[in-house]
Amino acid sequence: MVGLGNPDRGDDGIGALVARELAGKVPADVAVIARRGDLLSLIEDWAGFDAIVCIDAAAALGLPGRIHRIDLSSAALPRDLAFTSSHALGLAEAIELARSLQLAPRRIIVYAVEGGSFGRGASLTPAVAAALGVVVERVIAEVARLR
Amino acid sequence: MTNRTILVDYLTRVEGESALDLRISDGRVTSARLNVFEPPRFFEALLRGRGYAETPDIVARICGICPIAYQMSAVHAIENAFGVTVEGQLRALRRLIYCGEWIESHALHVVMLHAPDYLGFPDAIQMAREHGDLVRSALALKKTGNELMRVLGGREIHPVNVKAGGFYRPPTRAELAPVAENLARARETAVRLVRWVATFPFPQFERDYEFVALRHPGEYPFNEGRLVSNRGIDIDISDYETHFEERHVAHSTALHSSIKQRGAYLVGPLARYALNFDRLPESVQGLAREAGLGPVCRNPFQSIIVRSLELVYACEEALRLIGAYEPPAIAAVPVVPRAGTGFGCTEAPRGICWHRYQFDATGTISSVRIVPPTSQNQPSIEADLAAAATSVLDQPDEVIRHHCEQTIRNYDPCISCSTHFLKLSVHRT
Repeated sequence: MVGLGNPDRGDDGIGALVARELAGKVPADVAVIARRGDLLSLIEDWAGFDAIVCIDAAAALGLPGRIHRIDLSSAALPRDLAFTSSHALGLAEAIELARSLQLAPRRIIVYAVEGGSFGRGASLTPAVAAALGVVVERVIAEVARLR
Repeated sequence: MTNRTILVDYLTRVEGESALDLRISDGRVTSARLNVFEPPRFFEALLRGRGYAETPDIVARICGICPIAYQMSAVHAIENAFGVTVEGQLRALRRLIYCGEWIESHALHVVMLHAPDYLGFPDAIQMAREHGDLVRSALALKKTGNELMRVLGGREIHPVNVKAGGFYRPPTRAELAPVAENLARARETAVRLVRWVATFPFPQFERDYEFVALRHPGEYPFNEGRLVSNRGIDIDISDYETHFEERHVAHSTALHSSIKQRGAYLVGPLARYALNFDRLPESVQGLAREAGLGPVCRNPFQSIIVRSLELVYACEEALRLIGAYEPPAIAAVPVVPRAGTGFGCTEAPRGICWHRYQFDATGTISSVRIVPPTSQNQPSIEADLAAAATSVLDQPDEVIRHHCEQTIRNYDPCISCSTHFLKLSVHRT
């Protein structure tokens, strides 16, 4: 389980917060990590896992706090949705690269939570903060299904 | 009269935000511009009034890929201003952490950003399907560079362990031992990379550059040396401003540097290599010859070979430094601030990164000037673009566009670093 995003950028911190909330709530053979910035190093972490659940913030699409579940065995992650930097790899690119190198796990599920604001130094907006508990529960259920 | 305009709105596989604008009229290139629209960073302004002790941590944030370059140039400038000399194992540790940065930066560029151009792939992801083994090895090589930066710097991004006088906590031999094991494997990968990139198809393209780099009496340069060029410049780094200048150009938020009365120059791997080939160990010189290079390389498309050679060098130098490492008696030489001006110039992966700081008696900054390598290369990049485009003018636009993009990527430009403003004027018409 990987929580992605920058906790210092408002709603971008949702991934890290979910990772923190999950500690102790998932079985011992489930690794829970938080990552920010360049995801290239993530590819090394994935090798050897059967499945990955990623939690990340998504750019606002109209409803902050709305939770999108994307199962990458049946759908692709839109490249633009995960564009973070012209130099570093975003989530979509990291997954594609991992697949090209046969390092990607069998199952990859992405939970993308629409953000409302990504202000510097800000905490979660109320709508996204309200979604935190829901995301945690859905990820716990997801992990149980995947096992 | 036929006019063609080739625009690339957003350059990929370069760090930062820039665009290419090429104008062709009647079969001639009339304009080749690298438009940089990365927002200006204003670091030189925000450093005014800050103390010397916090300066390394602030300037590290100028760049996520080359924070060490900024930290090293800054601490050397601070020590230069306050009359402090760092020698022995602390000096060695500074070269060692720089090895880590060269490794992670060059490994990323050579394989993930640049190699796809030569092999006809749109990106490294597609390339990985056919060259998976090599891409995996390169990722491990990059990871070793990051590991070295983490062990010495405290973390990979914006290291926290660097300070004026030395480090907050030097590493133990036990902490460095596993890194050395990984570096031995990394060196083998780097040698493989040299041999791989040497087989790439290279356009026959050379320009008579003025190369500018540090030169040191005893070593391939990282942190110390005089500033030299292949056209007679040989100066102390404190004399930089008498020979080099920066100016604003309308189409770019990055400043353009030039040698006064002469014009464009080139910094980075090709410049270091041309001016310091004799400082490379025989093992690296031999690999260079095997790859078909002499002591000077003027073909920017072959910069990928030179970067790969510097990868081998950085791995070997890191292994040598770790092998000779004894923890220093003190973590940092004491630093006592005084009023004055200090200069630092170090070799970032992309070339010389020059800093000048003026301090008051309490060590508070009253003025700063920071000249990153990529802004120094801007005029050369544009001159290369005009020449490179001219060489394929009879080809379809798509071919010209790809050739120009590859020409820009020859420089491994770090656009985010190169945007800094001395003055801001807003003209509305």
